[in-house]
Amino acid sequence: MPRAIVLDRRDNVATLIDSGQPGQACTLQGEASGELVLLQVVPFGHKVCVRATPAGGDILKYGQVIGKAAKPLAVGEHAHIHNVESARGRGDKAEG
Amino acid sequence: MVRTFLGYPRSNGTVGVRNHVAVISVMDNCNPVTRAICQAVDMTLPVTTLFVRGQYGHDLEVAFNTLAGMGRNPNIAAVLLVGLEEQTTEEVARRIRPAGKPVESINLQPHGTINAVAEGTRRALKLAVAASAARRAPCPVSSLLVGVECGGSDTTSGLTCNPTIGAMADRLVADGGSVIISETSEFLGAEHLFAARAKDEAVGKAFVEAVVRLEREAVSRGMDIRGTNPTQDNIRGGLTTIEEKALGAMAKAGTSPLRGVLAYGEAPAGKGLHFMDAPAPAVENLTAMAAAGCQLIFFGTGVGNPIGNMVAPTVKVCGNVNTLRTMADNIDFDASEILEKSAKVGAVGDRLYDFAVEVASGTRTTSELLDIRETAISRFAPTI
Repeated sequence: MPRAIVLDRRDNVATLIDSGQPGQACTLQGEASGELVLLQVVPFGHKVCVRATPAGGDILKYGQVIGKAAKPLAVGEHAHIHNVESARGRGDKAEG
Repeated sequence: MVRTFLGYPRSNGTVGVRNHVAVISVMDNCNPVTRAICQAVDMTLPVTTLFVRGQYGHDLEVAFNTLAGMGRNPNIAAVLLVGLEEQTTEEVARRIRPAGKPVESINLQPHGTINAVAEGTRRALKLAVAASAARRAPCPVSSLLVGVECGGSDTTSGLTCNPTIGAMADRLVADGGSVIISETSEFLGAEHLFAARAKDEAVGKAFVEAVVRLEREAVSRGMDIRGTNPTQDNIRGGLTTIEEKALGAMAKAGTSPLRGVLAYGEAPAGKGLHFMDAPAPAVENLTAMAAAGCQLIFFGTGVGNPIGNMVAPTVKVCGNVNTLRTMADNIDFDASEILEKSAKVGAVGDRLYDFAVEVASGTRTTSELLDIRETAISRFAPTI
């Protein structure tokens, strides 16, 4: 069973330390416990959503904001550049 | 009890962890001669560079100071400068002389390549014979200035190698040593946490200003930094945003107070943890650290970045089991037990500190033995 580490109780994503397949159960370690079911392929080192998050909601890892949800995220969903956006160094979004 | 390593005590009170003769190119057109001399003489290290000719103002000052800083580095017993003409060569030489080591120079004008190589080889040989008389002796770890770097990062970096390097950094600072963390862009999203560790308001402000200046510049160009930082291999390794990367990168600095903020290649005036405002890409960042006087660099990697510095031996630390298997020849220290065996970061950091003392005492790194080393000085203005 793939393992995922939750680094802070406030986090809504966990980092997989094995690779995971859709439908596979994943064990949570670290600052959370229990299991969730992966909705997609989640490669080694990638993140999975552990708490449903609306579009625009903060994504938290290490208990800190690492970006915003670009789309709603469901528990078990692969959280990466396709649905999480950085808020920093974004000259493409600069006004004027 | 004072912890010691076996180093090369220098006449100015600094201590080398290696004992080389640096053959330094004053500008890019000298590199072929520098390489030819180094092929001929053992104990020499080629410190080549690009540009310099046509640089001016602050950009040229940085180039001269960085070349000279590498010459002043305690790992260097003596310096042979290879220049095109006397005056520019002297600009570098006069910046190295205060370190109290032999500094010689050879210029291509008017000798020509063959004579410059022959005369440079004769001089390098004499410098190397004299340098080889140096012997290692027990020296306190407080004489170490260590750079902490990361490259080819992934999500294992912030969980394994970087916190392990941070634990080692804490132990070194507690023993009176010094640490430099850099890579300004890799504080975007973590700067509030790091600034809170500044020894006073002025240091905290100087640090935050460096990060803000860099972000403002990226934004003013109308560019989206995604894909450049985090890089494509960072993203493949699971890092999603610069904020996530920064929070993992900052772990390399451990937990000690931030004592000062340094410019590119600037040596710290005091002990403890310092931040250097310099670009993140490894080669130009490691070059700045070596110029600041770092005798050793600890380099955390996730998906793998093999490069090391010429002057400062670079210890590659990795906690990604896949990379440890596929790029084993580029890794010096295995931190994978943190994820694989739930080992405590502090215990692995203790082990890395022991290894640091070994490398400082002469144990070679893979980037030294395979000669995976490069020099690049950052540019701050166009050439004229």
